[in-house]
Amino acid sequence: MARKIKLELVNLRKEFGDLVAVDDVSIAIEESETMALLGPSGCGKSTILNMIVGLEAPTSGDILIDGKSVLAVPPGDRNIGLVFQDYAVFTHMTVRNNLAYGLKVRKMKQPEIDREVSKVAEFLSITHQLDRKPDQLGASELQRVAIGRTLVTNPEILLLDEPLSNLEAAMRNQMRRELRRIQEDTGQTIIYVTHDQIEALSLAHKIAVMDFGALQQYDTARIVYQYPANRFVGSFLGNPPMNFLTGKMAEDGGRRAVTSGESTIPLPAGGFGSDVSIGSNVVVGVRPESLSLAAADDPGRFTVSVLAVEPQGPETVVTATFGDSSFKVIVPTGADVVEGGSISLVPESDLVALFDAESGVRLLDSGERP
Amino acid sequence: MSEPVLELRSISKNFGGTQALKDVNLVVPHGSLIVLLGPAGAGKTTTLRIIAGLDAPSSGQVFIEGMDFTQHQPNQRDIAMIFDNLALYPNKTGYENIASPLRIARTPKNEIKARVMEMADLLKIRHILERTPATFSGGERQRVALGRAMIRQPRFYLLDEPLSSLDFMLRIDLRTELKRLQQESGRTFLFATPDYTEALALADTVCVLIEGEVRQIAKAQELYDEPVDRDVARFVGNPPINIIPARLTRDNGTASLAIGTLNMALPAEMEHGLPSSISDVEIGLRPEHVHMVGADSTESHLTGTVNDLEPLGMHTTVGVNLGGVDLFFTVPGVQEFKDGDKVEMHVDMGSILFFDPKTGLRIS
Repeated sequence: MARKIKLELVNLRKEFGDLVAVDDVSIAIEESETMALLGPSGCGKSTILNMIVGLEAPTSGDILIDGKSVLAVPPGDRNIGLVFQDYAVFTHMTVRNNLAYGLKVRKMKQPEIDREVSKVAEFLSITHQLDRKPDQLGASELQRVAIGRTLVTNPEILLLDEPLSNLEAAMRNQMRRELRRIQEDTGQTIIYVTHDQIEALSLAHKIAVMDFGALQQYDTARIVYQYPANRFVGSFLGNPPMNFLTGKMAEDGGRRAVTSGESTIPLPAGGFGSDVSIGSNVVVGVRPESLSLAAADDPGRFTVSVLAVEPQGPETVVTATFGDSSFKVIVPTGADVVEGGSISLVPESDLVALFDAESGVRLLDSGERP
Repeated sequence: MSEPVLELRSISKNFGGTQALKDVNLVVPHGSLIVLLGPAGAGKTTTLRIIAGLDAPSSGQVFIEGMDFTQHQPNQRDIAMIFDNLALYPNKTGYENIASPLRIARTPKNEIKARVMEMADLLKIRHILERTPATFSGGERQRVALGRAMIRQPRFYLLDEPLSSLDFMLRIDLRTELKRLQQESGRTFLFATPDYTEALALADTVCVLIEGEVRQIAKAQELYDEPVDRDVARFVGNPPINIIPARLTRDNGTASLAIGTLNMALPAEMEHGLPSSISDVEIGLRPEHVHMVGADSTESHLTGTVNDLEPLGMHTTVGVNLGGVDLFFTVPGVQEFKDGDKVEMHVDMGSILFFDPKTGLRIS
């Protein structure tokens, strides 16, 4: 189902002196889709946001909304709604007046304003707070007001910049749910800027992972999580993050294996890794939950020693050694694993990745990417 | 030494008309790491401030190494308190930052050197000792700050959400590090956090503080498996436990649970554990105790309708409507259901927790 492209970044580049803050980024965002711009601080996501809004001019490249360049359009006329993490609501105005503000500026008539305000207030469940001042509201209610104030103006694109960062964990969960509902019910195109991989995974249809100003991968949450394009993406998503087992390519009982010191991890059977030459330095990427306790006769098993065992409710995080480094495995709580002992593991074969040791780029997928 | 390093006896604290702490009792043995776990506003910081002597309790006593210190000034207590916003001296090197509390205490030079080096080894920051903070990464800054806070050797350390302002990767790294540091040095930590996973990763013992009350003191895993009440059950675990009103009926020795429009048979051994006087209950069903099965599964299963989907990486949280009741369950991996999809679910009846709907206490 090909939807209309709402926003397109074309070779977007921004330099600050010698620093390349955004390095030729191209992303197309479909209408009625949530796109998460995910990366650590300093990765360029805020600069991209500033360029979309019009607060910053790109060094080169283009920004298209509905297929038309907006570079010459002043910020106020781009019809992009912006919500920040610190709400930025007017503290001296009631919730009602905050919500109405954008419409008054647009010189909408009062009866129409009233209608729109009560509609958005009801939608966000803040009707009973319309006559309160922001200082009487909790953090998540303030964020609702901030979102409502922007939504009411019916923007082409809604830009949310770390909107949940100031909320505590339980409230964040609830607001994530709320944001999904808002997006589904309004069909709003949303760009969601965050450094929190959980927010990106749980809210976005597509995730653009950024590092050092460059786009690392742009795909659905599932593909980005299961098939990271490089080590950075694998390490930035997931908690605990993907393991990287560094070693040399070897042959072990008819299949490829990666060895480091006394440790060996067999690669999935069926010729996986056979076009990587023996002896070359590689990195096996495998998520902690893609390793499981192996049956004694499993030919794909490998045995490692256990450094630490941390029960986390239903699951237990086990830290084990590979060569002279360590990695993490998730096992069911109650499994027979003790600190100082050893465990035999087997990787889920279609979720093993092989990365180049130097560049960190993914060499192969072990499974067919669905 | 068998004397606990710290003991709180019936501490209460009122701020105006509100009671921030109600009869808090806690024993902290030497060399232990105890986590004070609770939501924002539960009284964690108030408790730490009272221990440090920054606030006086309205009633109750603070015993330190067996002596009543309730009336002592903060500087007489010999306690270190560590917050999350640990500032560094920007113009001093890593070494000088860590050494500064010892210089103030006029510690001999060679002893300063030995202790800074020991601390640097513990925190793995030898390589940045000669550099200034401007060149540090976020993790290095926090390590140096922790090193400076811990170079003194007070009776014990109060840590008030020391990792909360860090990126989550760094937080995971540093909490493992803190635990190792605590174990290797044998120091005593009382660590306040609202984050249950942090508590699990760190603590021998967790003290759950909710609405100013100590609700439960237990091993982290025990809080999860056997919470004393509904609030503890809800606070521990993410996604949170489903709490659902239900009605227990008994008929000819077989018991069943009515939930929404559904009626589910209860295993006999569970029924025996429940007082016969009880019929209205709230059940607690952890999201991982519901799992998806094929439509042709021989396991008992129920059909639910998907109404929310939250992929979280390792798991996906799926919201379903089951017989008129909304609940959440977790499935492995990143799933791509749509709203309205039908899913077949098996409920692990043996794992259900029961709560008294009035008091919130667990019925066991």
